[in-house]
Amino acid sequence: MDELQELLEDFLIEAFEMIEEMDQDLVELENNPDDLELLNKIFRVAHTIKGSGSFLSFDKLTHLTHHMEAVLDKARKGELHITPDIMDIILESIDAMKAILEYIRDNGNDTAPEIDVEPIVQKLDALSKGETPSSVTPEKEEKIGDLNLDEITADNLDDIDLSELSSEELDKVLDQLVNDINTAPESEEEIEEVEEENVQNEEEKAPENTPVTSQNQSVVKKEKKELSKAEQKKALKKNIVSTKEQTIRVDVKRLDQLMNLIGELVLAKNRLIKIYNDVEERYEGEKFLEELNQVVSSISIVTTDLQIAVMKTRMLPIGKVFNKFPRIVRDLSRDLHKKIKLIISGEDTELDKSIIEEIGDPLVHMIRNAVDHGIETPQERIKAGKPEEGTVWLKAYNEGNMIVIEIKDDGHGMDAEKLKQKAIEKGIITPSEAENMGDKEAFMLIFKPGFSTAAKVTSVSGRGVGMDVVKTNIEKLNGIIEVDSVKGKGSTFKLKIPLTLAIIQALLVGSQEDLFAVPLSNVIETVRIVEEDIYTIEGKSVLKLRNEVLPLVNMADVFDVEKILEPEKYLYVVILGLGATKIGLIVDRFIGQEEIVIKSLGEFLKGLPGIAGATIRGDGRVTLIVDVGSLMKLAKETHNKKLATDSIKEAKKKKEKPSDYTVMIVDDSAMDRKIMHQALDELGVTVVEAKDGLEALNMLKQNDVDAMLVDIEMPRMDGYTLAQEIRKYNKYRKLPLIAVTSRATKSDRVRGVEVGMNEYITKPYTKEYLQNVIRRNLGI
Amino acid sequence: MGSLNDVIKKQQKMISEPEKNKTEDIEQLVGFVVGEEEFAVPILSIQEIIKPIEWTKVPFVPDYILGVFNLRGNVLPLIDLRIKFGASSADIDENTRFIVMKIKNEDVAFIIDRLTSALRIPKKNILPPPDTYSNEDEIIEGVGRLDDGRIITILKIDNIIKREDIVPERD
Repeated sequence: MDELQELLEDFLIEAFEMIEEMDQDLVELENNPDDLELLNKIFRVAHTIKGSGSFLSFDKLTHLTHHMEAVLDKARKGELHITPDIMDIILESIDAMKAILEYIRDNGNDTAPEIDVEPIVQKLDALSKGETPSSVTPEKEEKIGDLNLDEITADNLDDIDLSELSSEELDKVLDQLVNDINTAPESEEEIEEVEEENVQNEEEKAPENTPVTSQNQSVVKKEKKELSKAEQKKALKKNIVSTKEQTIRVDVKRLDQLMNLIGELVLAKNRLIKIYNDVEERYEGEKFLEELNQVVSSISIVTTDLQIAVMKTRMLPIGKVFNKFPRIVRDLSRDLHKKIKLIISGEDTELDKSIIEEIGDPLVHMIRNAVDHGIETPQERIKAGKPEEGTVWLKAYNEGNMIVIEIKDDGHGMDAEKLKQKAIEKGIITPSEAENMGDKEAFMLIFKPGFSTAAKVTSVSGRGVGMDVVKTNIEKLNGIIEVDSVKGKGSTFKLKIPLTLAIIQALLVGSQEDLFAVPLSNVIETVRIVEEDIYTIEGKSVLKLRNEVLPLVNMADVFDVEKILEPEKYLYVVILGLGATKIGLIVDRFIGQEEIVIKSLGEFLKGLPGIAGATIRGDGRVTLIVDVGSLMKLAKETHNKKLATDSIKEAKKKKEKPSDYTVMIVDDSAMDRKIMHQALDELGVTVVEAKDGLEALNMLKQNDVDAMLVDIEMPRMDGYTLAQEIRKYNKYRKLPLIAVTSRATKSDRVRGVEVGMNEYITKPYTKEYLQNVIRRNLGI
Repeated sequence: MGSLNDVIKKQQKMISEPEKNKTEDIEQLVGFVVGEEEFAVPILSIQEIIKPIEWTKVPFVPDYILGVFNLRGNVLPLIDLRIKFGASSADIDENTRFIVMKIKNEDVAFIIDRLTSALRIPKKNILPPPDTYSNEDEIIEGVGRLDDGRIITILKIDNIIKREDIVPERD
């Protein structure tokens, strides 16, 4: 039982895959009716499904595919010329086949009461007979019909005679044929011949009246039974061949699980690297470091490879989605009486499976939109001096870490004014909003809920739901939609979607005390500038970089981060790029490049402006990931509001006189404090005093201290610990710490350096020496 | 044999019935102090209680959202209930705790000043919030009276934070 179930599952998977391919092939066939290879391929699909179907005793399916096969065989032998009307029937039969297969998938048998294959079978029979479909209308197709007849005459005289025979003569021929069939070959080697016989049998059967048909069908059935054994073997053989392709089907859940595990592994790897760096600093030159280094690097390489490998297992060519579009476009253009050619390229471009699944629906909407709204009717096109046949391009390609899917048409384009008008009518925007709206923004209006531009609502589109859904779906994938349109020339829609959703390369930057991860795919370059490199044009800060002028904003302004760090001589700028826009973002530090695992901020915080998510760093802390698209928007607003130079000046507190500087003395001896105080008073600087480390730490938070003189031996908290504590704060990273102590051994000094002391003054010292050290450290 | 069965039955009755009464009539809560006031939340809504750990600030959120932190690989929002309830924030000391609760299937952590105790309050002692309470957001489930006469405010955790208050609707 299980084996049969397994066989059935395999059959269904294979069948659906083949049908998917077939759809595309058939549409292509319509364009190249003489492509023998295509015909053969399609024939084989019908044949295989028939074979496997009969093996699993799906009679209805076998019955249908059998007749399809007959028509296709005729076509492949050149006895039947494929016209759009014939194609309609073939496509209809494939739809029926799909429906039956779906029924089988859901119910395990093919009784499918609501699917009636007989009318289709009859149409197919009519085709095999050589009749042109009844719904022939335009002259063109008649011509094809003639051609068809000609061909048949040339290739198969018997057939053409047949259709011209009187009913009596027909009966005779039939009798003869039935006899032929009864003596049909039974040996396996002759399957092919039987096939042909079979087809002929079909052809002959067609012109008969209904009662005879059923009689004849029973003959066919009988024959099929004889055939089925041979076909089973053939089909099985085929299965074996296909399994020889080194593939294996894996439950997606397992891959997801694997991806999650690797995410964890990446985090652990980052942590390991961090620990290694810490250890490296402390035990420089030790032998085990080298070994540790080797292990860490090999783990990190393997992790990266592993991650890429698993990522690749999840990647599928986008062709999987594109496959169905030729059919959709074909059906639509026939429904709408338009002539449309679909040109697909880049179907090999690979995307994560989860994205492939999500992208299908939005793409269908976009394609429908292009066909329905974009491309004009043939008459309109001719009037506009364009070729009668419209073209829709569907293109996929990689751009950095993004995949771009482009849907382009050469239709009438969009009219920004008309769109605005419509949006005002529908109450989506106000007239004043419309006034300030650029063309590109106006094009984006079509993605607003409740917006529909087509004057006439068709079954295809124009209900104003589609495009809104497109936007939501693309945003769900962190993607971007770009629209461009030239009136009269056509429209281009670009969907930009990140390749994967889980793990990305990021540049870590520090803005004031906060860290942010910027997706590396959007970082064009990083530069170091000085304040003088910033120009102000029309009240906005810009950076001249080579031949470009880039808007410049301070990241701290964008995210409204509290400014506590004093600006340094150099400013660090990240040049961000998104689509055609570039912007310079001033940050305070570059931390480095790191692989990060994207985590959601959860239901309550997701969707914050400028933030795409968070990641957990090697040290276990959370770092926010910048959403470049949204950040650009914020940056533009900030750019209009605030000069980058303002915030730099703001942070730079004016310190002109010595009394603007504050020096803190930390010593438990009142006597020592007094000596130092006196020396500092002569310099004119402001002095604050603390009796021990703990007190100093508290005072530091309340006072703006520019340098510290620290004794080592103190109660409660000694100088070393104090220095260590101070250095933990970013804000005090650069605060000059000067140890003043009588402990003068080398190891004391080394310890001092280790905990972050800048200078070491040994007691006793001269007043002048102390003053010099202070002056040097304050830069006065 | 019969007498043994009787004993067992009796025992079972003793075991099962008081429990039944308790679960029906008694609300199990965890009490904690924020600012000057004592609050309580249902014990079952609490995922865990941890000591404070470092968090990361998040831009563009109301001030009561301090940021996010890493709890064993998950990123959780951290909410300061003092600020949420209109008091000034306090320094973290050894009594400060993060209470992690599940709100609409999402783990969210709240900073509280200190834990008091697990409480069992009979349902009849829990009254709806008096009208004098400003309960606009319906964050108060009710007011519980303890045996020692203390009054405790029971929070409706589902309403403590709302997404629409945190992230401005995107246009």
